[in-house]
Amino acid sequence: MEELNRGGFTFDLCSRNTLLEKTGLKMPGFLKTGTTIVGVVYKDGVVLGADTRATEGPIVADKNCEKIHYIADNIYCCGAGTAADTEMTTALISSKLKLHKLSTGKEPRVVTALTMLKQMLFKYQGHVSAALILGGIDINGPSLHTIYPHGSTDQLPYVTMGSGSLAAMAVFEAKYKTDMTRDEAIQLVAEAISSGVFNDLGSGSNVDVTVIAKEGVTVLRNYLTPNERKFRGPEYIFPIGTTPVLSKLVAPLSSKVIIEDVVMS
Amino acid sequence: MTSVGSGYDLYVSTYSPDGKIFQIDYANKAVENSGTCVAIRTKDGVILGVEKLVPSKMLEKSSNRRIHHIDTHIGVGISGFLADARQLITRARDEAKQYRQVYGQPIPIKVLSQRIASYNHVYTLYGSVRPFGCSLIITGIDQYGPQLYMVEPSGSCIGYFGTSMGKGKQAAKNEMEKIKFTEISTRDALKEVARIIHTVHDEVKDKDFELELGWISMTETNSVHQLVPQNLFEEAEAFAKAAIEEANQ
Amino acid sequence: MESPEWMNNAVDLGTSIMAVEFDGGVVMGADSRTTTGAYIANRVTNKITPIHEKIYCCRSGSAADTQAISDYVRYYLEMHTSELCDDPDVKTAASLFQLLCYSNKNNLMAGIIVAGWDKHQGGSVYNISLGGSMVKQPFAIGGSGSTYIYGYCDSKFKPNMTKDECVEFVQNSLALAMFRDGSSGGVIRLCIIDKNGVERRMIPGNKLPRFWEG
Repeated sequence: MEELNRGGFTFDLCSRNTLLEKTGLKMPGFLKTGTTIVGVVYKDGVVLGADTRATEGPIVADKNCEKIHYIADNIYCCGAGTAADTEMTTALISSKLKLHKLSTGKEPRVVTALTMLKQMLFKYQGHVSAALILGGIDINGPSLHTIYPHGSTDQLPYVTMGSGSLAAMAVFEAKYKTDMTRDEAIQLVAEAISSGVFNDLGSGSNVDVTVIAKEGVTVLRNYLTPNERKFRGPEYIFPIGTTPVLSKLVAPLSSKVIIEDVVMS
Repeated sequence: MTSVGSGYDLYVSTYSPDGKIFQIDYANKAVENSGTCVAIRTKDGVILGVEKLVPSKMLEKSSNRRIHHIDTHIGVGISGFLADARQLITRARDEAKQYRQVYGQPIPIKVLSQRIASYNHVYTLYGSVRPFGCSLIITGIDQYGPQLYMVEPSGSCIGYFGTSMGKGKQAAKNEMEKIKFTEISTRDALKEVARIIHTVHDEVKDKDFELELGWISMTETNSVHQLVPQNLFEEAEAFAKAAIEEANQ
Repeated sequence: MESPEWMNNAVDLGTSIMAVEFDGGVVMGADSRTTTGAYIANRVTNKITPIHEKIYCCRSGSAADTQAISDYVRYYLEMHTSELCDDPDVKTAASLFQLLCYSNKNNLMAGIIVAGWDKHQGGSVYNISLGGSMVKQPFAIGGSGSTYIYGYCDSKFKPNMTKDECVEFVQNSLALAMFRDGSSGGVIRLCIIDKNGVERRMIPGNKLPRFWEG
């Protein structure tokens, strides 16, 4: 018995699970963000966009999740793939970048975040399912990158990712032009995401938009809400007194507290 | 010596009040007690000459060698403790081998010299170690041409046209001042090196010595470091002896 | 829901790449298509990546692997440069690529052509194959598209071509490869390196040579 109580990990359940899987048991899957995420560079900034549906197999697990993650004050990142992976990856890099900023005393650069992300994803050889769009503005101006789960990166003026990327890219290829204004860019991004929301099963609900410009960031959460519930079920209203008060006791705090003087020797 | 008994010479981690590390000075003393080593760089090669003192008549001729090959294109001459030097030579060979493996090319002489110097330098930083009691003259030919460096116990690494170390280093330097390094041919330099070693040898203090000559040249040895062949060696030594004879008359 | 394609397929540089040496420099060329399965993830990719001032590489195989390798080599070469106090040779860069490709061959999908100019050898081209061998060649082709043009290149290559002849050779060869190979296409990117520096060119997809059409 002594031997058994030495602590550490036990992997008994892992072997049990593999055994059960062989007998045909279906294990619960991961929460995936079957997603449409996009980004566009315009004249003096970057616009990022995302839908807000999170799925778990065929079930919509969250109707209004956030897929545009904060990296730094001047850098944001859209995530597609396993929700946990995109969230933890961006949060980790955000934290690393903050420490980097504190030690250098300089505004973080987009390529720094890019390099950190790609090195991490490459290290995990694609097992961290995060497909990202990284957008930001720094001393080199606005820039936009895609990062794939295996750690490869691209730089382009307009990008899409996720299961709805084809629908969104179709909109971009038809309507993108160079040196757009801020409003034109927001309009285009919203349109591209809407295309994903309406034509891709994995994407849906609302449109989130984030604008990163030199002057600052504008987070347009639920910029479009094209899928509002028309009919709500009756709300539960319980009148005061539904739960009867049987007894009532008020005890002053001082009776429960002992105050002592501590004499320092 | 003023340092003895002062307490400042016990560790390399202690400076003396006037900013010296006595252990390094002592290491240099160890070098100065050993036979002279001379090197001359010419347009197309480098000559290395060593005065190998023979402590016993029973010593075999090829033992206690003081010129060593590091890679095909690099040779070193050593002064000081042979055992300490052997450590550095092994290190140099490892560095040369590793450089070839990683970069697919022969190590440049400067890079090797600096790496050995850094290795030496580490042994001047901690109280638990002593500096190497030896200096190296590193010679060779790389993509930048003939190169000649001297690495000392302090961790310094300096390039030269001609340099010397050991007992007769000052006398050898005086002799070298007459040489025009940019004009002299490799074969003439070979004779000069032999002459200098014979000249600086102190027959009163050290009876027997053996001359060792190593060279590397783009024209003579196809940029491969080797000991000077027998016939040229004898020619150079004959020249040296004749020159000294002449000077004595 | 079925996992989307981009989750399962690694980003692949189904590619046509090439480099030719001429007297005093090299001409490098590549198509611009990056694919994930059947989807073109990037149609204007830059597969000619700088390693040093005058040393570049053409990447083929997995985008993630080749980008990671080039990042490492760029870093190691920078370290080496500061020790050497001089610009590195192309062979040095190629050796570093070989070291990484060979020692990690079981985990990598990378076919790389290293080319550039240095003051000792002039222009030179090295091919680092999938298994991690390093071969110096007067010209090298690589990527999935190269299989279609071995015969063409062997018949059209002649030693001692001028810079302009090399540029034309690269353009024509790549155009042929891109037209036959489904996973190559887009624009042709060129990189001409000699002792004076680097010149980059781009030939748009609608201006590709079509000399074979008669």
